[in-house]
Amino acid sequence: MTISTATPLSLAARLRGTPATRPARDTVTAPGLRAQLEDVVAGCGLHPSTPLTLRSGLLRSSVVPLESSPMARLRGLLVTTALSLLIHDQPLEDPFEDPMAAWCSTQGDTTLLTAFAAADADVQARLQADVRSHVSVLRDALGAFPSSWRPQTAVRSQVLLSGGALVLRDDIDLMVGSVTDRFAALSLLDITTAPLGDAVEHTLRYHALVQTLRSGVVPLRVAIFSTATADCLIREVDTELLQRAVRDLAAFVGTLAVAA
Amino acid sequence: MKLTQRRFINEDLAALIETAPATADAIDAEQRRSFSVRLRSVPTTQTRRIDAWLVEHAGHGVRPFSWRPSTARRLIGTAAAQRLQGQPQRVTDVVRDVIDEYMVRAISGQARFGSLGHWLSGLAPATLGLVVAEATNWCHQLLESQAIVGAGATLCAADTYYNVNAAQTTLRGRRDMTVVTPSQRVVVRVRHGVPGKSAGAGLRTDLVIDALGHPDGISAARFIGVWPDAGLVLSVDGTMDNLRAGARAIVRTAVVQRREILTAAA
Repeated sequence: MTISTATPLSLAARLRGTPATRPARDTVTAPGLRAQLEDVVAGCGLHPSTPLTLRSGLLRSSVVPLESSPMARLRGLLVTTALSLLIHDQPLEDPFEDPMAAWCSTQGDTTLLTAFAAADADVQARLQADVRSHVSVLRDALGAFPSSWRPQTAVRSQVLLSGGALVLRDDIDLMVGSVTDRFAALSLLDITTAPLGDAVEHTLRYHALVQTLRSGVVPLRVAIFSTATADCLIREVDTELLQRAVRDLAAFVGTLAVAA
Repeated sequence: MKLTQRRFINEDLAALIETAPATADAIDAEQRRSFSVRLRSVPTTQTRRIDAWLVEHAGHGVRPFSWRPSTARRLIGTAAAQRLQGQPQRVTDVVRDVIDEYMVRAISGQARFGSLGHWLSGLAPATLGLVVAEATNWCHQLLESQAIVGAGATLCAADTYYNVNAAQTTLRGRRDMTVVTPSQRVVVRVRHGVPGKSAGAGLRTDLVIDALGHPDGISAARFIGVWPDAGLVLSVDGTMDNLRAGARAIVRTAVVQRREILTAAA
């Protein structure tokens, strides 16, 4: 585990690592993980007619969310939008107005926008300052992601297990690399506007597990970056990490089954 | 009617392509005429457009189409992916070139009002940036899917369009790649999200539209739907049963559409 604060290396460089030391592409682990999880599903009596849907946030439900107000959600969405723009070489003239204009163009649902418009001037100004600060931290840390790395932003996954009895949903803010390389090349990055806490380990393991199940290939590494503190946590993905992710999931699903 | 499910990995796709039936059924002139008569019996006052998405939603509750970065991405991203075949260029640059060409067509008066070019030419730079981001994401996903399907996969330049004679109906069949061998043709379609309960009906719809769009009515040996977000693949074979089911689903969708229009007008 590596926690670093404002190191000179960019996120791009840290996600890439040293290409010469990459392990070979692992396609044999995924079927085993799937079988283990399907055993868990069978053991808990889950059925496709009443599917259980999980997200990474649910696994750390014991942790009280720092903020869950509409403004906090809007802040997160705007920072994610800013990431999409920055990764694809769109210069941001205003770190708040530009992501806001871009985000508005994608929305059919105007709930958050209405909440923003209805908020008093003080709240609006605070959100603007907040977003500008987070985007500024992100821009400084990001580095350059060449096109050959195939960077994809806002990647959604939805893995069905046991015929849909258990649904694992996940959102990855940035995914680079390809699953077709001879060597492990896929790196996942999650951007959070909250400080990194103990629960981020669960989140990273969950991202790695869902991606492995989805593509059938074990990713190279998974990372989470906090735009609040500029801290970055990076984990190499290996069998041990994936097994811990399965245990996390089994424990959580087991708790739910007992509660039911 | 069999719907085959596999994982979205090289080995499974290679097996699906390899085991595709050596022969495929074809739609003859009489069947085309019969299909046209069935659709003509569902009257419409304006041209209706039917595709697999509409069939999957049983013709219900369809929001009017509007351009958004997410609806523009496939058109732009696919055009960029076409140009990138064997060309080592930056994806973002190619996507921007494609967007520029759309805008030039709009500004020079070659594009109709409401077209993609018109919409793009009215966007603020930040929104245009998000269009670039979405199209680049799609382009990467398409190229990645092409690599997983295998070396024989060729990107399709356009979807299949088929106008049903005298029925004021345009059918649009979605397709992203084809794998052509001397004996057979396999078509691959890439979709986001997770396949729903009506995914099979959607695939059969695309299968029959693809066959109708073929000059000799020859169906693809196998039609494969790929859902990278879920890591899943579904496929249907080009049998007459599947073609008939696809055609019936299209007629049913037209009937539901007609009923909805009449209900709204009443």
